[in-house]
Amino acid sequence: MNKYKKVPVCIGFLLPVFLIYTIFLFVPLVQSAYYSLTSWNGVTEKVFVGLDNFKALFSNSDYWITFWNTIKLVVISLCIQIPVGLLLAYLLYSKVKGMKIFRTIFFLPVVIAPVAISLMFSLFYNSEIGIFNKVLEAIGLGRFATNWLSNIHTLLYAVMVPQVWQYIGLYVTIFLGALQSMPEELSESAQIDGANRTQTFFHVVLPEIANFTNICVILCVTGSLKAFEHSWIMTGGGPGVRSAYLGVYMYKTAFVNSDFGTGSAITVTIVLLSLVITVLFNTISAWREKR
Amino acid sequence: MKGKKLVSLSMAAVMCAGGLAVYGGQEVKADDKVSVVVATNWGEGDSKYDYFYPVFQKFQEENADTMDITLQTYSTEDYKTKIKTQTASGDLPDVFTYWGGGIMKDMVDAGLLLNVDDYFADSESVAKEDFDDGAFDYYIAGDGNAYGIPIESTRGVLLANKTLFEQYNLEYPTTYDELLEVGKVFNENGIIPMAIGSNGGTPSEFFYSELYNQYEGGADEIAALASGGNFNTDNAVKVADTLLDMIDNKLFPEDTMANGGWSASLQLYTDGKAAMTYTYPWMYESIPDDIQECSDIIPIPQMPGATIDPATIETGFTVYGFMINKASYEDPEKHDAILKVCDMLASDELTESLTESGMIPCKKVEVNKDSQKLIMQKTLDYAADKTLVQVHYTTMPSAEAITMMDSSLDELFINALTGQEFVDKVQAVLDKEK
Repeated sequence: MNKYKKVPVCIGFLLPVFLIYTIFLFVPLVQSAYYSLTSWNGVTEKVFVGLDNFKALFSNSDYWITFWNTIKLVVISLCIQIPVGLLLAYLLYSKVKGMKIFRTIFFLPVVIAPVAISLMFSLFYNSEIGIFNKVLEAIGLGRFATNWLSNIHTLLYAVMVPQVWQYIGLYVTIFLGALQSMPEELSESAQIDGANRTQTFFHVVLPEIANFTNICVILCVTGSLKAFEHSWIMTGGGPGVRSAYLGVYMYKTAFVNSDFGTGSAITVTIVLLSLVITVLFNTISAWREKR
Repeated sequence: MKGKKLVSLSMAAVMCAGGLAVYGGQEVKADDKVSVVVATNWGEGDSKYDYFYPVFQKFQEENADTMDITLQTYSTEDYKTKIKTQTASGDLPDVFTYWGGGIMKDMVDAGLLLNVDDYFADSESVAKEDFDDGAFDYYIAGDGNAYGIPIESTRGVLLANKTLFEQYNLEYPTTYDELLEVGKVFNENGIIPMAIGSNGGTPSEFFYSELYNQYEGGADEIAALASGGNFNTDNAVKVADTLLDMIDNKLFPEDTMANGGWSASLQLYTDGKAAMTYTYPWMYESIPDDIQECSDIIPIPQMPGATIDPATIETGFTVYGFMINKASYEDPEKHDAILKVCDMLASDELTESLTESGMIPCKKVEVNKDSQKLIMQKTLDYAADKTLVQVHYTTMPSAEAITMMDSSLDELFINALTGQEFVDKVQAVLDKEK
């Protein structure tokens, strides 16, 4: 009897989340999956076309350009955001003077709207009026000055930079929280045993915060897979689709070209890609833990 | 404990109710007034807002007893997305400003828009004959009917900074060779010859059309696109190759992406960093008085192999107008209210007011030239003896073809495509739709 007394409370707490997730996440996801099997311009009747949208998508070179752009963003974000975030967090954790100020400064870009950051970087990059090339020239690196957003070799990376930079602060905060929750005795006893700071970091600190690292990796991967704002604001995903990610390509296809069927098919591939990467990562993490 | 449970359950109930309210939130009809939704891209910050809103507000106050008018405004690009999303969700505004040609095609095919002849048949204050000849062309669909009431017409202009030309003892170029010479001198002095970039196809797409019209048969080829014509023509490749040559000769800003878009391209000119720019009157609000003073409108130099004298033509076309939701108009409860709103939007009063923002009206109204900005006066003088020609934007048969042309021009401007590759990309979209 006592067991069932808590049921209304449990339902009361679970229901809002259940409803919100169902209405705003699950239902649209199922709808998108259905739309991806139709030819629909958002206005006329949907026509069921089976897997035709996917066939057309996979034979479209623009899709593969945006696919690889997205993968590049995932890899670059993982290689920069996580290590730099961890490094900065560790420096702050090591009792740096003015730690609170630095912590705020590092986190500040995270709360600024991506639109503002993107517009700011667009101006920085502008070879006529921007400061980026002027700074390079001022410090003797003028030979590296280029038209950042109009050079096919730098364009994509120029668009990635603000996104990668903006969210480093998020990982600093997560890692700092992880480090602060770690018992100090662990590092102290390692140092008493003769470990230097580098050894302590790699053999004591890193294994201790492994779960937090996993969370950061998942956040970083999913954040990159749904990247949109920076690319859209700075270049509209162009020229062509050279600086577009899958999210931008989906938006252009569905909302600019009014091809909601193909747009939904792109959405489905983004979801599948996220699932594959997440499952793959969790499997590797579980395997490593077992070892 | 009981208190905690009560609070928890109350909070959960409030969240559920909130969620449901958001999901199912619908506009509630106020009393016995008729609800009318009017949507426009003339939001705050738009050059037309200051001239549109007072007239709208006056109309709203005059009809406050019978109508509950909701005005929805967004900036242009967001507005296009908003209308598309509303169309998909079956929530189209009752009356809304929108573009014609390929952009309206899906809505026409779905029978969402009113044939404007039905409106003119009912209206006592506005007649189709009140508008310029050809103003409705942009809104004529494949079935021969017009589905939009044109508001704004426009003219493409090449502005030249007289002061800079005089400073370097240069004449306005009339041929391509002269343009190259002028460009060389300006480049040597750190001045960008022509502030024309390409970001999202602006202003490059319109400049491309401007050059296209200089070639034999170009105007006809542009017009034919609307009825299934080809984009892959000799002229299309020729113009694209000419643009590449202009890029190679550094006639445009080096960073065409960062300096693309209407505002950024114009900014270089108004800052005195560029000697010429190609723009349209909807940007005139952003031109300072001193720059208006020293600006001349000149013909675009004649391109190599072109046979049409550029001094005799000018791009001029209907930019947009407003459309009427067919279902709303045919709703007996809403019909009269919508008719009144349409009469207001097509009224001489609003049209005359909008001309003060630098708008060339599609409706035949007296334009007081003296009340116009200096640059607008110069535009009207320049346009007086010109034959108006169309641009690809108004004749491309679908939104996807326009998008492809825009994004491929961006690629062309950064030298990532050859002229033929650019043309092939656009043609591929047209072929897919045939």
